[in-house]
Amino acid sequence: MDALMGFDPRRVAKFAGLGALFLFLCWQHVQATRIGYKVETTRREARALRSRVEDLRLKVDETLAPAALAARANSKLGMIPATPGSLRSLSGAGNESVSLLPRLWARLPLVGPSRS
Amino acid sequence: MDLGLRLTVAASLAMTPLLPLGARLAYLQVLRHDNLSTRASGEFARTAQEAAPRAELLDRHGRILARSIPSWSCFVDKAMVKDPNAFGAKLAPLLQLPASEIARKTRAATRFAWIKTRMTQTEFQRLTEARVEGLGLVPAQERVYPNGDLARSVLGLVGAEGKGLAGIELSQDKRLTGRARRMEVIRDGQGRTIYKNVSDTGDEPEPLKLTLDRTAQFLAEEALREGGERGQFKEGSVVIQDPRNGEILAMAAWPPNPLRNPLVQDAFEPGSTFKVVTALSAVDDHIVRPDETFNGEGGKFQLTPGVVITDHEPEGDMTLTQILEKSSNIGIAKVVERVGAARFYRQARAFGFGAKTGTPLPGESAGELKPLSDLTKVGLAVSSYGYGLAVNPLQMVGAYSAIANGGTLWETKLIADGKPPVKVRRVASERAVKEISAMLEGVVDRGTAASARIPGYRAAGKTGTAHKIDPITHKYSATSYTASFAGFLPASAPRWTILVVLHDPKGAYYGGLIAAPIFARLGSRLLTLEGVPPDRPADPSLATAKR
Repeated sequence: MDALMGFDPRRVAKFAGLGALFLFLCWQHVQATRIGYKVETTRREARALRSRVEDLRLKVDETLAPAALAARANSKLGMIPATPGSLRSLSGAGNESVSLLPRLWARLPLVGPSRS
Repeated sequence: MDLGLRLTVAASLAMTPLLPLGARLAYLQVLRHDNLSTRASGEFARTAQEAAPRAELLDRHGRILARSIPSWSCFVDKAMVKDPNAFGAKLAPLLQLPASEIARKTRAATRFAWIKTRMTQTEFQRLTEARVEGLGLVPAQERVYPNGDLARSVLGLVGAEGKGLAGIELSQDKRLTGRARRMEVIRDGQGRTIYKNVSDTGDEPEPLKLTLDRTAQFLAEEALREGGERGQFKEGSVVIQDPRNGEILAMAAWPPNPLRNPLVQDAFEPGSTFKVVTALSAVDDHIVRPDETFNGEGGKFQLTPGVVITDHEPEGDMTLTQILEKSSNIGIAKVVERVGAARFYRQARAFGFGAKTGTPLPGESAGELKPLSDLTKVGLAVSSYGYGLAVNPLQMVGAYSAIANGGTLWETKLIADGKPPVKVRRVASERAVKEISAMLEGVVDRGTAASARIPGYRAAGKTGTAHKIDPITHKYSATSYTASFAGFLPASAPRWTILVVLHDPKGAYYGGLIAAPIFARLGSRLLTLEGVPPDRPADPSLATAKR
């Protein structure tokens, strides 16, 4: 009967293999399309996030702009620009007259030893 | 009939209807494959392009001056819009624009028209979700200047298409513009995009670092703005240069205009600030001795019949130092007579006057220096105190930098490319330059620039006041002036050369009264900011500070 029907296990295996390959190719195509959609969605999300990051960076830059800082320093903290005469140097030649003990005291760390 | 034959016949009969289908398939897939494949690709496959990136502009410390941020623009395809009014009504709440404006733009379009550019992320998302037919979205880059108007006359601006229109944005456009990333995508039946692959990775250009110092720029602009807003002058500009290497630290103009940079594009008659050129040519070739005097003629001197030179104060005998301190036109005219046209002209050229400085900003003016043949007795005399010629502010600040650094004229540098400064030439001997430098210190300490003094510090400089040409009569105006001050500090080891030029000052119009205080205010802020130690210990104000 097998011979009558032309049944040949090798041929069946060949057809099965070809079928499997066809199914695999179909599956691969579907997967590629699915991943393609996903990549595109992710790309949009990345762009949106990048846009958000850039917006935040811009806000930081705008906040740190000299004009903005000067305005806040003046209006909120009441600060005014320093003049050369109003500054006093705490290092170098100006400290030579100070005795040894206060100078050593000044060199002591304020919050314990450095961790580095 | 045996079974095999019967099966073959049955199979053949069953397959017969498929034959035309197979033939059609072969025709489409084999004979018309290329044609149909191209058509299909055209309908579904697309090349998506992201907006071309544009390089950031940074100051010398790497702080942002200009940057690009992603944004979107939307357009209408009129052929796909049936009812512009309905289209406008649908879009209005999403774009925060009046419906009538959208409808008007749609009607006015031949086929394509921008509806809105520089959209936010939120607007983009709303539009994407709304899926309005006839509306297209394009990624773009918005150029932003986080410091507002700071240094805008240097930076310039960028147009809607992302091209530089003025300033550094224009002159360095090629260097700043990157290549957009391109991707191949497919659109499905619902118009959704499916990513395929990247066809061009694009190119993001490196940030461009300028020699400008954001803080110095702010201080310069602030100093100008204070006077400008009070109506003390019509237009003003300030430039700060590092005399040690020719780097420009600040270029401020008031009123601010991103499309025009008067510091580069304009030239002005400098007046008395030009006297240093005459003085240096006299000192360099030992033509005038330090103790030699010139008579001030009581403030009025007839040079030739019909040509009278005047001083603002009547003076008697003066040394060259006193001529500069008192800014005597008569004195310097007598000095230049001794120097001679050829030597004076050579010195002016050595300082770079009459030639472009080579700054990378567009539209630089070379100024105007009369040719040697035109330097007649009168021409030479007026040129000696800065009339009958025009200089651009960068040339003038470069000349004073050369005096500040001991005689080296550096190439003006605005882009920090990491290369060493370029020496153009030596303008005079070190001895002569030091003598002139000491004379300029005297101008601040004892002369016309008393208001340029900064307690605790040595400063040097020269004031200038020049009548402007009346554009109607083409003669010198009696009411319109250019007031200026050029100087450097601290004089013991100069770190900043500052030029202040004010056009049409109101009220006090002398350079020493209106431009020199701006120099002092700006210089004082820079010295404080950089923590430069005082170089004049005997100054009473320093003694007070120590107490």
